[in-house]
Amino acid sequence: MDKTVELFLTLPETKKRWQKFLISQGINNFSSREVAVIDHTVGLIDEDGQLVGTGSIAGNVLKYIAVSNDASVQGARFNQIVSALEEYLFSQKIYHSFVFTKAKYSASFSHLNFKELAHTDEAAFLESGTPNIQDFLAKIPRIEDQNHKKVAAIVMNANPFTLGHQALVKLASSENDLVYVFVVATDASLFKTSERMELVKKGTSEYPNVLVISGGDYLVSQSTFPAYFLKSPDELIATQTEIDALIFKNTIAPKLAIKKRYLGTEPFSRTTNFYNQSLKNTLSPKIDVEIVKRFCNNDQIITATRVRQLIKSNNLKDISNLVPTTTFDFINKNYQILQERIKKGMNINGN
Amino acid sequence: MEIKTVGVAGTLESSDIQIMVSAGQNGIEIDLESEVAKSYGDQIKKVITDTLKKFGIENAKVKATDKGALDCVIAARTLAAAQRATETTDKPRLEVLQ
Repeated sequence: MDKTVELFLTLPETKKRWQKFLISQGINNFSSREVAVIDHTVGLIDEDGQLVGTGSIAGNVLKYIAVSNDASVQGARFNQIVSALEEYLFSQKIYHSFVFTKAKYSASFSHLNFKELAHTDEAAFLESGTPNIQDFLAKIPRIEDQNHKKVAAIVMNANPFTLGHQALVKLASSENDLVYVFVVATDASLFKTSERMELVKKGTSEYPNVLVISGGDYLVSQSTFPAYFLKSPDELIATQTEIDALIFKNTIAPKLAIKKRYLGTEPFSRTTNFYNQSLKNTLSPKIDVEIVKRFCNNDQIITATRVRQLIKSNNLKDISNLVPTTTFDFINKNYQILQERIKKGMNINGN
Repeated sequence: MEIKTVGVAGTLESSDIQIMVSAGQNGIEIDLESEVAKSYGDQIKKVITDTLKKFGIENAKVKATDKGALDCVIAARTLAAAQRATETTDKPRLEVLQ
């Protein structure tokens, strides 16, 4: 019987052994971005003391799972690894987990009650436990006779909410019966998730047919994207955006009767443009995709990136031309806190 | 019995079953994954439902991942998960298994 043990990757010898085993199983990406986020690693040791399986946890994501190719015991070892990882998650009171894996392994996870959320030719994205995507969707407020109404969606990070975001919401609001504004839930931006949510709510309060909802784990959630088995960044972005778009198309949009998605162009972000294109390719024609050109104020393009740069360079006056008063008041009140966050190393040039 | 948290018991290994119990509103809803669901799915669900009701739970969401567990194992894992979900593990209700 194989024994489950905890592997301490902080020990160089253990890490070397772990890495060697994974390489022998075809996993080659050990970039610090992927490895540094690992919280817990288990190993499977056979009767001869050989490492024959391993798996890791980063947050609520299962990563670096591999078992030796011995066909007679492969399934049992796989189950034992996943079981050990779940046991760890449960001990941390984490009852909802994700795995991002090669498409061919999707079935193995399905046998362990993981539910596939989306798959491309190469990759599959699955979740397990509770609350799942159906629970997430069931909690979203609806309007009467929603299935026969014009319903649209916008997804935004709103870091922070600008006049550009507001104009996009206004446009969608005027063209539809109901607009869902999903705010990215991942807390990795200069403005914290709670702050971004609040500013979106305040900045859209004049549009009664707009509902502001947290994107949860399912709309552009960074934490759910380990990419260790993909070769290049471009490939990673393409797969990530396709999975994200497929979850929206296959599960979220049908449940909420969303027929249209509004996107804003982003002149300075390659990722966003890539994302917009990928969304359009995947969603149309089932869902109408409207890419709206970036709004300008006196020939100045309005972007949240610019707002963050102005906070950094101490130019409060120019910010007032880019954001609604609700956002401006917040920035004005929390100016020092925001600047301190930048000083402490918060990246302001991403999304 | 009030479900206060998520309760899990069991493993994904052969001859075992993993049961996850969380709060629900519409009776006992069971999401079962099993290789033998076609032949024994109803029986597995019955054992889970009976055990929960005997324990005093009328509404719950249950995720069950079966790897060929016998009825006595299913009942024991269900009871353990239920006691963890209701935070009553300090008073084992073993009579439920009889």
